[in-house]
Amino acid sequence: MREMLGRLRQTHFAILSSSVYDSVQGDVEGPGSPGIDLRVLNGQAIVTSLDPGSPAERAGVRAGWIIQSVNGKEISPVIKRLLADSSVSELTLTRAVLARLSGELGETISVTFLNGSNTPTVMQMDLVAPRGNPATFGNLPLQHIWYESKKIGRTGYIRFNVFLDVVRLMDSFGKSIAECRDCDGLIIDIRGNPGGLGVMAMGMAGYLIDKPGLRLGTMYMRDTSLNFVINPRQPSFSGPVAILIDGGSASTSEIFAGGLQDLKRARVFGTRSAAAALPSIIERLPNGDGFQYAVANYISEGGKTLEGAGVQPDVEVKLTREALLSGHDSVLDAALQWIRGQQIP
Amino acid sequence: MNRRFVLALIVGAPFAVSIQAADPDLPSAESILDRYIEVTGGKAAYERHKSEIATGKLEFAAAGVKGAIVQYSAAPDKYYSSLDIDGIGKVEMGVVDGVAWEKSALLGARIKTGEERAQAIREARLNAPYHWRELYSKVETAGTDTVNGEDCYKVVLTPKEGRPETMYFEKKSGLMRKTTLIAASQMGDVSADVIAAEYKDFGGVLIPSKVTQKAAGQEFTTTIDAIKVNEEIPAARFDLPAEIKALLPKK
Repeated sequence: MREMLGRLRQTHFAILSSSVYDSVQGDVEGPGSPGIDLRVLNGQAIVTSLDPGSPAERAGVRAGWIIQSVNGKEISPVIKRLLADSSVSELTLTRAVLARLSGELGETISVTFLNGSNTPTVMQMDLVAPRGNPATFGNLPLQHIWYESKKIGRTGYIRFNVFLDVVRLMDSFGKSIAECRDCDGLIIDIRGNPGGLGVMAMGMAGYLIDKPGLRLGTMYMRDTSLNFVINPRQPSFSGPVAILIDGGSASTSEIFAGGLQDLKRARVFGTRSAAAALPSIIERLPNGDGFQYAVANYISEGGKTLEGAGVQPDVEVKLTREALLSGHDSVLDAALQWIRGQQIP
Repeated sequence: MNRRFVLALIVGAPFAVSIQAADPDLPSAESILDRYIEVTGGKAAYERHKSEIATGKLEFAAAGVKGAIVQYSAAPDKYYSSLDIDGIGKVEMGVVDGVAWEKSALLGARIKTGEERAQAIREARLNAPYHWRELYSKVETAGTDTVNGEDCYKVVLTPKEGRPETMYFEKKSGLMRKTTLIAASQMGDVSADVIAAEYKDFGGVLIPSKVTQKAAGQEFTTTIDAIKVNEEIPAARFDLPAEIKALLPKK
């Protein structure tokens, strides 16, 4: 079935192995992680961020380092093979490399990096529970959800990894907005966020819109059309909003970013999103596997079909190894610069 | 939502009920609806219900989503329900003094308007089957059909505000087995089939304890475990939440 579904070359059609549900974290490679996030840039797996307090951070790994091998197995052939297949998305590519860094909790992995001076550096790192709180919804495999919010100067910054764990995330988002009353702008970073519950995009957009009757887009089913309506909610934020996306931003992330972009409520920075925005459900099959299938198409408010096209950023900015090594995130920097340029003298 | 959702569909708008039978060989819609009142307990049994507290569960089986539901109703049409859905949290809904509202962590607070409001107010009516003459302006027997293999009469009920709803009453038992309607919602109109099953006696009135809704390609089931009849409900239970009050037009 997996083979047949693969030949459809459509997103949101998949067979999830029953082992995904049996595993604590939902990753067939094992739930343990060293706390590294990465992207494949110019054919190389580059560390982009480290989970706070993670084994990788404690070991001294830095953003911008290149991951060369894990437990003696080279990463570059994997990347080369996947890049040769045009149907493999950036999201899949990233996940494939991340899977090689994962394993059972308590295991130790040996990773060879090229550090900032391009010197091979071997580090041993324990695998620990992923960052965040475990959460699930229906037949979705268990996932660890984290949320962070901070101020960069006078600009609010929000980042979270999945649109799930509704009660905690919506509450955190509302509190962040309330604390940002005096912010000169707000940055919502959903790079690498694969989506989750579509309606959460409506709920979060409600904090950024003060006019009733607007919508992010429309979901088209066989006999029904459902509008993703935004209910203005309090406290709202009315200043400039920047949304950061990349090829790992999929599904609900695209509904959120694409809709607010169409409404001209947010300016989008980064690289094109995953173009995988078909609403779907996951049913459990008699053998315990999960069967994910699309149930609708989704058109963003501006008339764009997100599936296959994705969200095109207003300002295209790519991450570079050089910027990461110098402690900069070029996408975040561009958003900050834009927000500061919006200030009324 | 469960029982209200079904039974309120037997309701409508005040006065001016127009009763028509499309086919002289078919029983009148009025007689079918009145028979339903009789077979589910009779007028006196309905009149004894002044308030209800219902508890149950809901399940969206295909997606593996479950939740718990509690709903409070008081005559004539005060209503409050709380759905606690796994992974979503609490979704509260209510109707009081003509204000129909909804509040959740997911989507915030809002006041229902237009046809959605009218539907919510009909659904909030306690003992709705008994009050069908007040709630619908026109009822008509539209033919026969089968539901789950049982022969049924089709009755089309037109509320004062909103589109007609069709109910299917089993010929043999007189019980209502299915309703088809267009559910008005903020997200758009949704065609829904609502299957009523497993009637149980709650305080002398037979009420479908299992209701399966099929809408927008999905199916979910609500099951009532218990209904406490005429239990005292604190008046504050129906008060508008502060977030809803803030949305009301300033006087």
